[in-house]
Amino acid sequence: MGEASVELPQGTLDLLILRTLALEPLHGWAVSERIQQISSDVLRVQQGSLYPALHRLERRGWIKARWGTSDNNRRAKYYELTRSGRQQLEIERSAWEKLTAAVARVLETA
Amino acid sequence: MFRDALHDVLFRLRALFGRNTQKAQHDDELCFHLEQQVAKYVNSGMTPEEAERRARVQFGSLDQVQEECWEARGLGLLDSLVQDVRYAGRTLRRAPWFTFCAVLTLALGIGANTAIFTVINSVLLNPLPYHDPQQLIALKQNDSQLNLEEIQRDNHSFVSGGGINTMAMDFTGGPEPVQIRGGMIDAGFFQTLGVTPLMGRLIDASEDVKGGPRNVVLSYGFWKSFLHGDPQVLGKSITLGGNPYTVIGMMPREFNLPRERADLFVSLWVEYPSAAAEREVHFMHSYWRLKPGVTLSQAQADVAEIDRRLSEQYPDGEKDRHSLLQPLRDAVVGDVRTGLFVLFGAVGLVLLIACANFAMLLIARAVARQRELMTRAALGARTARLIRQRLTESILLALAGGAAGLLLAWTGTGLLLALKPAALQRFSTIRMDGRVFVVVFVISLLTGVVFGFIPAYSAARKNLAESLRDNARAFSGGGSRHRLRSVLVASEFALALVLLVGAGLLIKAFWRLRSVDPGLNPANVTTFYLSPPATHFPQIPLQNNFRRELLAKVNSLPGVESGMITDAPLAGNFVGHRVVIDGRPAEVGTEPVVQTLSVMGDYFSVMQIGIRAGRDFTPMDREEQPLVAIVNESFVQQLLPGQNPIGTRIDWIRRDEPHKWMTIVGVAADVKHSGLNQPVDPAIYAPFAQNDEAWRTWTTLVVRTQQPTASLIETVKKQVWSLDNQIPVSDIQSMDDLMALSLAQERFNMMLLGAFAGLALLLAAVGIYGMMAYRVSQRTREIGVYVALGAQRGDVLRLIMRDGARLAGIGILVGVAGAAAITRVMTGLLFEVKPTDPEVFGAVVALLGLVALTACYIPARRALNVSPITALRCE
Repeated sequence: MGEASVELPQGTLDLLILRTLALEPLHGWAVSERIQQISSDVLRVQQGSLYPALHRLERRGWIKARWGTSDNNRRAKYYELTRSGRQQLEIERSAWEKLTAAVARVLETA
Repeated sequence: MFRDALHDVLFRLRALFGRNTQKAQHDDELCFHLEQQVAKYVNSGMTPEEAERRARVQFGSLDQVQEECWEARGLGLLDSLVQDVRYAGRTLRRAPWFTFCAVLTLALGIGANTAIFTVINSVLLNPLPYHDPQQLIALKQNDSQLNLEEIQRDNHSFVSGGGINTMAMDFTGGPEPVQIRGGMIDAGFFQTLGVTPLMGRLIDASEDVKGGPRNVVLSYGFWKSFLHGDPQVLGKSITLGGNPYTVIGMMPREFNLPRERADLFVSLWVEYPSAAAEREVHFMHSYWRLKPGVTLSQAQADVAEIDRRLSEQYPDGEKDRHSLLQPLRDAVVGDVRTGLFVLFGAVGLVLLIACANFAMLLIARAVARQRELMTRAALGARTARLIRQRLTESILLALAGGAAGLLLAWTGTGLLLALKPAALQRFSTIRMDGRVFVVVFVISLLTGVVFGFIPAYSAARKNLAESLRDNARAFSGGGSRHRLRSVLVASEFALALVLLVGAGLLIKAFWRLRSVDPGLNPANVTTFYLSPPATHFPQIPLQNNFRRELLAKVNSLPGVESGMITDAPLAGNFVGHRVVIDGRPAEVGTEPVVQTLSVMGDYFSVMQIGIRAGRDFTPMDREEQPLVAIVNESFVQQLLPGQNPIGTRIDWIRRDEPHKWMTIVGVAADVKHSGLNQPVDPAIYAPFAQNDEAWRTWTTLVVRTQQPTASLIETVKKQVWSLDNQIPVSDIQSMDDLMALSLAQERFNMMLLGAFAGLALLLAAVGIYGMMAYRVSQRTREIGVYVALGAQRGDVLRLIMRDGARLAGIGILVGVAGAAAITRVMTGLLFEVKPTDPEVFGAVVALLGLVALTACYIPARRALNVSPITALRCE
């Protein structure tokens, strides 16, 4: 099942995390599950990069963490988007769209 | 933008301080993740064991994730710094010899710098300990009190001005009469410096008049040593020069005069009214405080105007007035500045050499640890991290070296001051302060960073494969690294050469100075300074009777060859008089100034000064006899050229009375009275017995004995006190010591620079030796092959030594060029030696060459003893 997965290009993980958290606060495991589900198992987030990324985003002030209780009544750390995180998401999203559109044009015409 | 940065910093700080709770929470978070994953796998039908295993495998190393999170939280840098320091400490402890050598090398370099910087800091950089010191001005020339008062009255540039002259005074009241230095001041003096007394008050203007109350202000030192720190001292009376003085104040402990030394202060007008009233006796040092906004040149113009008026008003004695103002700081530090800067330059070079050695030690260590570094690199350590680790190590070493250097400097400064350089004596407050510590810290840090980075970088630049290959071949040590070491060794030799040349020049100058014939024979001569109080001996006949009786008593002592009495021999203090030659009237005010010495007894035979023409004084040259004088050779050369001096009549200038002509009866050889490096001035010797100046109460008893005798001092004191027990006997010194004293500053400079040059030589020798030894050990196999192939001892020796000799040679060449360019700054310190003296340069080059060859020869010899079998086996 891992054969279909792709390596995430550098920098896109932050964008994916921000986008995932834009809907609702989630804990780390849920973030990785959500990304995997939505991308139909194509994108897989390694824990080794997920948690450092979460901490980095927290340091930047784009997400903030609080402790809550999970579905199975277990203490878990939930991350949610901050206001500047929302702005950042918009910035990164439009940058990404520009990039992919440009790459696509090059691929089609060149 | 700013808010983001603030958030970042706050976040990192919180992370730092709350790290333990956070660590636990973080563990929780990761465990939760694992559990979720396991649960998911179990739900999809796996056995719990299988699910657990799978989740763990997928997760990877928990520790690594954790570490990366730390780094993401901004703790990585700090964490790894602590790690690096711990790691460095551990590895250094494991290599105690390396650590010891590195720390010692730096300690020597930094210590020498700290000691000299401490002195410079206290002498040149610290402000004078007075109020608003940049406003203080000194008059370069001495002036008379009357003239000073006119300047004080008429100037428009100064807030205030004041004068001081220090004189020997006797203090009676202790167990022995003692001689102390009294500061004769006017009321403006303390006011100008802007100092306040610790106790009581200062002398005010209403008391600073002829016939004013006899009041005295004490120095802290005098109060402590002679009055036992009596807290009730104010209002008490002490006896000075036979007169009772009331103590009205005491200065604080840290108070020092700008240029003089005094135990206590009295009003000049009260203590010495006759001198105060002499317009033509210029003996007061004066200090002035500029009005705010007035520049030095404005003040100078102002004073010049007053000078012009004074010289018109008093054409007899004040015709040539050229008062020069200079900032007080220049006046105070002027004469030590060059010496200190030369020393500072010298220790700077020592530090550079020490740093070069330090860098070479680090390189050698890097080579020795190559395998370890390679292993760590192979295990994934990043290059930057490796460099950082090495830097941490070198900084740690440098800081340790700095700390040890501080310790060395602390003792070193004590030693430095114990040598009692005359020029530094008045700076009683030389000590380390915060600035010294900061400078040492910065120097150490820079040393660690700069000299640690070069080898660390050059080691890290090589890639892994290259290192592996190198290691396989076991020698060659890497080209770039070898080049670096070569540059370091050559620079060390260049620097050491500059230092050695500097020291060599000073040594030669000192040797020259010592070999100057002083014109007298100081062996077995002892001098005693007496000051018969003017109150006991007011008239000349009384003074001379005392002197005569004392001489008779001293001459009858066993072991005494002969004795004489004069004003003050070879101490540089003279009464200068304008002199006129009979039949050659000179324009008023332009008469030549000559040194005048009064003598009694066998002056010339005690000092063993040759009489070049005419005759010596005899006991018949006394009161009521024709007035006679003996002049020195310089007097004849400068004032009576081409003339037979014998029979010529001379006298001091006299304004209002007829001349009392003295006939020259003899010519004495020149004597270097003012110091061996000073030119000889014209001098006149005249008998005390025919003296008509009652104020010449100074009396220096000079005794020549057959052998050096220590018991003489007590015996002579008893003889003096048997005549008058109120006379202090002070400054008891052998003539040899007095002569040495006049060389003290030169000796001090020479010894210090010599010591630094020696240190530099040692460090450079160690440097080249270390490098050669290392090279030999690396080339053992190569040498073994040569020997096996039948190379002769001479061939191997040449092979090894060629390298070292080449480096030393390059260093020496560069050093010679550098030294020739730099030593010019020393011109002022060198007596009769050119800064490019070829003998000194030649000797230094030879010495360095010899040291280099020796340092290369020892390891080369070791190479000769290598047997080919061991050499080849050493693979």
